[in-house]
Amino acid sequence: MNSTRRCFVRFMMSTKALVPGASWPCSNLGPAAQILRTFRVSGTVAKKKSRPVRTGYDEKPERERSLVADDDDDDDPFERAAREAGTKAAFDGLLDVFVRRDVRRRGHVEFIYAALRKMPDFGVEHDIAVYNKLLDVFPKEVFVPRNFIQRMFNHYPRQQECAIQVLEQMENYGLMPNVETKVLLVQIFGEKSHPMRKYQRMMYWFPKFKHANPYPVPLQLPRDPVDLARFSLNRIAHDLDARVAVYQFPSTEVSETGEKVSRPHVVGIQSPEQRRLLAEHNPSRPVFVEGPFPLWLRKTCVHYYVLRADPLPPEEKVEESIDPERSFFYPLELDLDLDRDFGDLDSFDVDEVEEGPVFAMCMAGQADQATLAKWISGLQETNPILGRTPILFRLESGPRELQQATESEPEPSAEEEPLHSQGMKQ
Amino acid sequence: LYATADSRCHAKCGPTVHGSKSTALRLLCVPQESKSFAVNMFKGQINTSQVFPFPSVLNEEQSQFLQELVGPVSKFFIEVNDPMKNDALEKVEDSTMEGLKELGAFGLQVPTDLGGLGLTNTQYARLVEIVGMYDLGVGITLGAHQSIGFKGILLFGTRAQKEKYLPKLASGEDVAAFCLTEPASGSDAASIKTTAVLSPCGKYYTLNGGKIWISNGGLAEIFTVFAKTSVKDEKTGEMKDKITAFIVERSFGGVTSGPPEKKMGIKASNTAEVHFDNVRVPVECVLGEVGGGFKVAMNILNNGRFGMAAALAGTMKGVIAKAVDHAVNRTQFGSKIHNYGVIQEKMARMAMLHYVTESMAYMVSGNMDSGASDFQIEAAISKIFASEASWSVTDECIQIMGGMGFMKEAGAERVMRDLRIFRIFEGTNDILRLFVALNGFQNAGNQLKNLQKALKNPLGNAGLLTGEIGKRARRRVGLGSGLSLQGTVHPEVAHSGDLTVKAIEEFGATIEEMLLKHGKKIIDEQFVLKRVADSAIDLYAMVVVLSRASRSLAQGLPSAQHEKLLCETWCIEAYGRIMADMKSLRSSSSKQLFKNLRAISSALVDNGGVVSPHPLGF
Repeated sequence: MNSTRRCFVRFMMSTKALVPGASWPCSNLGPAAQILRTFRVSGTVAKKKSRPVRTGYDEKPERERSLVADDDDDDDPFERAAREAGTKAAFDGLLDVFVRRDVRRRGHVEFIYAALRKMPDFGVEHDIAVYNKLLDVFPKEVFVPRNFIQRMFNHYPRQQECAIQVLEQMENYGLMPNVETKVLLVQIFGEKSHPMRKYQRMMYWFPKFKHANPYPVPLQLPRDPVDLARFSLNRIAHDLDARVAVYQFPSTEVSETGEKVSRPHVVGIQSPEQRRLLAEHNPSRPVFVEGPFPLWLRKTCVHYYVLRADPLPPEEKVEESIDPERSFFYPLELDLDLDRDFGDLDSFDVDEVEEGPVFAMCMAGQADQATLAKWISGLQETNPILGRTPILFRLESGPRELQQATESEPEPSAEEEPLHSQGMKQ
Repeated sequence: LYATADSRCHAKCGPTVHGSKSTALRLLCVPQESKSFAVNMFKGQINTSQVFPFPSVLNEEQSQFLQELVGPVSKFFIEVNDPMKNDALEKVEDSTMEGLKELGAFGLQVPTDLGGLGLTNTQYARLVEIVGMYDLGVGITLGAHQSIGFKGILLFGTRAQKEKYLPKLASGEDVAAFCLTEPASGSDAASIKTTAVLSPCGKYYTLNGGKIWISNGGLAEIFTVFAKTSVKDEKTGEMKDKITAFIVERSFGGVTSGPPEKKMGIKASNTAEVHFDNVRVPVECVLGEVGGGFKVAMNILNNGRFGMAAALAGTMKGVIAKAVDHAVNRTQFGSKIHNYGVIQEKMARMAMLHYVTESMAYMVSGNMDSGASDFQIEAAISKIFASEASWSVTDECIQIMGGMGFMKEAGAERVMRDLRIFRIFEGTNDILRLFVALNGFQNAGNQLKNLQKALKNPLGNAGLLTGEIGKRARRRVGLGSGLSLQGTVHPEVAHSGDLTVKAIEEFGATIEEMLLKHGKKIIDEQFVLKRVADSAIDLYAMVVVLSRASRSLAQGLPSAQHEKLLCETWCIEAYGRIMADMKSLRSSSSKQLFKNLRAISSALVDNGGVVSPHPLGF
C-alpha cells in the first residue's frame, strides 16, 4: 500500500510538472482518447526522468508504465502473483487484497490499468466475471454527476476513461458485457456517463456481429497435436465428405541401439472428389508434395502439406460435353455463363486462374521427407495410382526449420536428431 | 434452349431446309425478343401480345365449317360409340372405326387437297374436345394416328412423301403409329438401340430393333420410326451415331407387332410392341434430314401437346356434368347434397380447373394458328395442367358420387383409369416441369447475360441500364417495378390483374436470384426447378383466365359475371401459392426442407423400402 500511494502521488506531481496546463483533463473537453494519450505519455516520461539509470534495464513497456510498481526493487504484485500461480484465483485474490487495503481505494485507476495489462498472463482475459470484479474496484457513487454542470463537463475523466478502457479490452477479446456490468457502471458513473454509453454501444453492435464469422475458431484449441491437425485439416478442406486419416500416431520408442526414436504424427485428409481426381490423373505426370504452408488459428500457427499436380496442359484437356440432342423432353445443360457479380473485370479474374488439382492434404510432426513418405504410402492404400506415379517432394524450409532431413535422407539415421517440431509452434 | 431452337428452325426454314445442329444453336444464341408470355414472365416482364386479347383466330368461314362438324361428331359419340363396350372389348368397335373414318376423323389436319379436312389447330382442338368428352380410348387411337403418328409427314415430309401417304392416312385406310420408346430409352435419345444402316448401294437402310408401348402398334400400316444412323460430322469428319426419322410401311416386310398390351386405362386403344427385323427402308422414306431425327421427334411432340389439353377439357366437362347431376338429385338429411359446403367447394374447384384448362387449350392453339413460334413452354404447361386438373376433377367427381362413383356402371371409374396415363406419356409431367423451368431459366439467363454485357459499357447502354437498375431498385424497396396490366384487362377484374402483376414481379425476382445463386448448376437443383415450374404453371393459368374473363366481360356474355368469379377465385388462390413458393425458395428454410427430403429418400434407397420399424415391433 505504501508503495502504491507513493507512486500515485509521485505520478500526480510529475504529470502536473511536466505537462503544465495542456493536459489536465478537467480543462480538456476534447476526445477521450486524447486525454488518455497525454496522460499515459506523461506517466512514462515521468518515470523515465526519474530513473535515467534504468533505461537499459528492461525495455518492456509494461514494466515501464506499470504505475503500481514500487520505486524500490520490489516487483509489480501482478507479476509476482503471475509467476507464482497464474490463475484466476490468484488474480481475484489480488483484486480482493487491493479492495480491502483502503476504503478510499486510492490509486485504483492505476491499479486497474495494471490489472488490465496483466490479465492475459493470468489467463483471465476471456472471463466476464473478472472484468466485472475489476470494475467493482471503482468506488461507487462518488463519480456520479450530481448537477447539470458536472454532467455537461467531463466528470472524473480519468476514472471514466479507465472504465472505458476496461470495456474496450472486453471488446477486443470479443466479450459481451452482461447485466452485472451495467449495474456496476450505473452505480459507479451514473446513467449518462461515457462508460455507460460505451456499454450501450457494445450491447447494440455485439449481437449484430456475434455470428458474423460462420466458421469460428474455438477459444480452446485441442492440445493433442493429432486432434489439432484433425481440426485444422477439416477446417481447410471444407468438404463434409472429406475423411481424416491418421497415418501415424506420435510415439517415442527406444531403438535397439538405445537411442530414442520419436515417431511424429502424420494426419491427412482426402475427399471422395479428390480421390476421383487423383484416379483420373495421368500417371506419367508427376505429382508434388509441397509445403509447408502456414495456417493460423488465432495465435497458433500450424503447417500443412499438399499433394498436388500441375494443371493439365490445354492439349490434354478433354471437353466433356453433353450431346444437345440427348434428351427428348428437357435440356440437360444450360448455356449460361453468368458473371458472379456485375462488377467483374473481364481482363483478369482470380477465379479463372487455372491451378492444378490438390489431391490430399496432411499435417505432420516433422517436416522431413521420410515422415511425409509415410503419408504418401498411407494414401496409396486408397489411391493405388500413386504407386505408378512419380512423386516429387518440393519442401521449402519452414520459417524456422533447417532442411536437414532431405539432405541426409539416404541414411536411416536421418531421424536421429529430434527435428524442430514443425507441426505446431506457439 | 430446346423449344427455341426447334421452333425457329421449324418456323423459318420449314421442313425442307434444315440447318445442322450448329446453325440451330447459333440461331438460338442470337438474342431475339420472344413474344411468348411464359418466356417473358421468367424475366419478370410482361408481354401481352400473345395472351391479350384472348385469341380468336377463326374466320367466319372456318367457324361455320366447325359448327357444321361439331353437331354430327357429338351425335356420333352419343349414338354410335359405346365407350363401355370399347373398354370391355379392349378395342374400338369396328363399326365405330368405320363411322369415324366416314366422318373424316382420321385426317382432321391433312390438307383438303390430300383428302383431309384441313383443320387449323383451333378447329382440331374443338373436335378433339368432343372425343375426349366421351371416350378417351378412341381419343388415343385418333391422337396416336394423327397427332403424333403421321404429324412428322405433315411437318417434315417432302411433297412426294405427303402425296404418297397422306391421302390413305386421311381416309383412315392406313393407320399410323409413332415409334420412339424403347425398353432402354424413354427420354434419353442416346440409349436408342434401333439402328438403321445404309446399304452399300446407298438406296436403302436396313432397320433393326424393337420399340415398346406403341399406340396403334398392332393396327398401324405406316410407322414413324426413330433409329440411330451413322452420320459424318461435317466439322471433324468423324462418324457419329445420330438419330434419323423414317417412314416405315408394314408392307416393307420384317415388321411384326406383339399382342395388345394389358393396361390400366385407355383399354380401347391398341398398344403393342413393334419389332423391325432387317426391314429394308428406301432412302426416300427418310423423314427430314439424315441425322435430324431428334428435331423431328421434338417438333412432333411439341406440336401435339395442345390437343391433349383440349381433349381433357372435354373430359372434365363431361365428368362435371355427371357430378352436378348427382349433387342435384341426391338427398341426404333432408336436403340436396349440393347445399353442403364441402360439396360446393368441390364443385367450385372442378369448375375452376375446367375453366383454366379450356382457356389454356384454346389459348395455345390460337397462338399456334396465328403463327407464333414460341409456344413450347405454354404447350408443356397446358399438358401438365390439363392432365393433373382432369385427374383431380374426376377424382372429386367420384368423391361427390360416393359409392355410386366407384361402380363401373356410373362410368366415372373408366374415365379415371383412362386419365392416369396422361400424366405419364409424351413426356411425364415431372420431366415437362423440368423443361418448363429450365427453358425459362435459359431465357432469363440470356437476358441477364446481355445485361451483364451491357454493364461493361455503361455509357453506351445508358438507357437499358437505367431501366433495369431502376426496376431492381424499385423491387428492392418494395415498390412495383412499373409493370401493369391496367388497360389490358377488363376493369372489373383489375384486382386479379394486380395480383398477377405482383406475382410476376416476385417470380421474376426469384428467378434472377436463383440464377445468380446457382448459375449453371441450377440444372441440378431439381427441388428448386419443380417449385419454379409449379409457380410458372400457376402464373400462366392466372393470365389465361384473366384474358378469357376480360374478353367475356367486354363482350357482355351472359356468363361474364360467372367467369369473373372463376377468374377472381383462381387468381386469389394461385397468387397465394406462388407467393408462398417464392418466399420459401428465397428463404433458408427451403434448404433444410430439401436436405431432409433428400436424406429421407436416400435412406429409403439404402434400405430398399421404408426404414421405420413396425409400431408393434414385428
